[in-house]
Amino acid sequence: MGNRTAPVRSLEAGTVEREMNRALISSAPRRAAEILLSQGVLPILLVGLFVAFGLYEERFWKAANLFNVLRNASYLMIISAGQMMVLIIGGFDLSVGAVAALTSVTAAMTMAGLYASMPEAIAVVTLIGVLAGLAAGTAIGVLNGVTVAVLRVNPFMVTLGAMSIAYGIAFYTTTGVPVYGMPEEFTRGFGRARWIGLPVTIFLTVGILVAIWWLLNWTKYGRYVYAIGSNQHAARVSGVPLVRCIIATYTACAFLAAVTGILLTARVGSGEANLARTITLECIAAALIGGVSLRGGVGKVQLVALGALFLSMVTNGMNLVRIDSKLQTIVIGVVLILAVGLDRLKLSAART
Amino acid sequence: MTANADHAPAARGPQARRILLGLWIGYGLLPTVLVLMYVGFGLVEPRFHTVENAVNILRQASYITILATAQMFVLLTRGFDLSVSTVISMISIATALIMTSMIGEDQSSIALAIAVSILFALAIGAATGAVNGVCVSFLGVNPFVVTLGMEGIALGFATTLSDGFPVSGLPGALNMAFDRSLWLGVPAPLAVCLIVLAATYFVLNHTVFGRTLYLIGGNPRAAFVAGRASRFHNALAYVVCSTIVAIVTVLLIARTGSGEPNLGGGLMLESIAAAVIGGVSLRGGEGRVIHCVFGGLFVTILSIGMNLVRVDSYIQQIILGVVVVAAVYLDQFRNRKLRQ
Repeated sequence: MGNRTAPVRSLEAGTVEREMNRALISSAPRRAAEILLSQGVLPILLVGLFVAFGLYEERFWKAANLFNVLRNASYLMIISAGQMMVLIIGGFDLSVGAVAALTSVTAAMTMAGLYASMPEAIAVVTLIGVLAGLAAGTAIGVLNGVTVAVLRVNPFMVTLGAMSIAYGIAFYTTTGVPVYGMPEEFTRGFGRARWIGLPVTIFLTVGILVAIWWLLNWTKYGRYVYAIGSNQHAARVSGVPLVRCIIATYTACAFLAAVTGILLTARVGSGEANLARTITLECIAAALIGGVSLRGGVGKVQLVALGALFLSMVTNGMNLVRIDSKLQTIVIGVVLILAVGLDRLKLSAART
Repeated sequence: MTANADHAPAARGPQARRILLGLWIGYGLLPTVLVLMYVGFGLVEPRFHTVENAVNILRQASYITILATAQMFVLLTRGFDLSVSTVISMISIATALIMTSMIGEDQSSIALAIAVSILFALAIGAATGAVNGVCVSFLGVNPFVVTLGMEGIALGFATTLSDGFPVSGLPGALNMAFDRSLWLGVPAPLAVCLIVLAATYFVLNHTVFGRTLYLIGGNPRAAFVAGRASRFHNALAYVVCSTIVAIVTVLLIARTGSGEPNLGGGLMLESIAAAVIGGVSLRGGEGRVIHCVFGGLFVTILSIGMNLVRVDSYIQQIILGVVVVAAVYLDQFRNRKLRQ
């Protein structure tokens, strides 16, 4: 087909214009399909799911439930945004779940220890605890970044090893038992508090997402990240500070995972080495559903946020219609494969 | 030679280093490290150097060596299989359920029940691998995503089928046949391991399928252009991988005497670690049976040795993580030297 129409297009300008007009008029459905392909089916899928769940189970549309969906989605959004940055730069982070667990354990132990010795200085105790947790988590990210960028080890193996290491430390220090004894104010202030009717977590998440959007689209660093991801060699030759950028990205990813760890700790009310066992799978799924490419260089934070929202909605809906939580891992696995499979089909459709 | 003689003292250092480096590039560092570890642990703990312990090491190493071999089939094609551990759990539960329900009150047909449920185990393994393989090589989905998704799916099946509880009540005959018995004087798990290794050696070196795997890993386009049905062979690699995983599962439930929703545990990390530490390349097209043997022995000796000198199991997890990263680093360093 393509070969036969090519000579027609090479006729004089008038014919070409007429051809194009006709094509525009006659192919409205096709254009709709093209717009769909360019935006992805995610927004439509989200609305469809929203309506379908609501029709099937009225409680889904209740304000309390929607807040719940949003709050659960915000944890996933933060950690997925970090995962996305690493994916864009052409890497991978399997250690995010372990980083969140390590953060949770470190923060809780620090807080519980300090709180017991000085119960009046709650603000100081909380602050030190949170900082210690963030530092522990972020340190794993620095380690990942240095090993990937300087020693040039495959990121998959590096983060797999880091996962083993971080879980090992978290379980060793707690022997797998939850850590209690944090100040009440921490759990109430962070995990369960509301501002103007909305959970605090949501404001924090929006702030973080906007910051990442700005970072990726309006700073030199952001442009470097996309450049490294689409063609590392070209980026190196054109003078992009490769090593620094890669280390910064893995560090940022671990930092965001650590923030999620802190928020989850506040919500659960204890430090747990077993915190969010499945979140690594979920955040990679959210990123890929949001259209991030595993080959690097492609990804938008707003779509990843939608991907996380989508996953949280699916989980919440399944809970409401009482699908067993064990079965839900199956659904998420299938959704993950389908999402990436559809993405591949979309790519090959766009190419022909 | 004679002309260089007076420079010898100065040159010996670098030259010795070059020879060592050459040996290492050719054969890898691992055999030396293995011997050193074996001797070292024995010095710390004399019980390590007994015949029983040596047999125990080989027996323990069988499971992980077979798993590394399974992983190697997929690694050769530039893929990997993250679903190994939960697939083991899933197959163990399914097999145990079939076996116990077949035996029921009818104690006479135990042999039949065992045979049928092993066939089912292999079939489930092959089917799982087929799903992975079709998604990877016919639908073109990244192997990472496919097997990560399969990890979730298999975990879901394992916990749903079992309700989170172990399925016990497996016949003693199973334990007798595949764990405690000697096959021609060799412990059963070790014998199965040797059979799998021999079969793998034959398949990889003397069949079209095996050679195609190396070709796909070395240069996927070339494999496609060369007219080999590379998609089919690529998918088949996943089928073989999961089928071998099913074999290990049978050995494992024979040892524990029950199907368990968490039987796979950290075996995914260990299987990839063993293969990669042994010298199977993550970039495809490179890997031999002997690599899996070395890798399996290394991981096992490390873990048994650490148990003997009483290292906490969580600390062992940390050490394994460090060792994996170090091994991959050394492997890439070696590759860079090879190319020079």
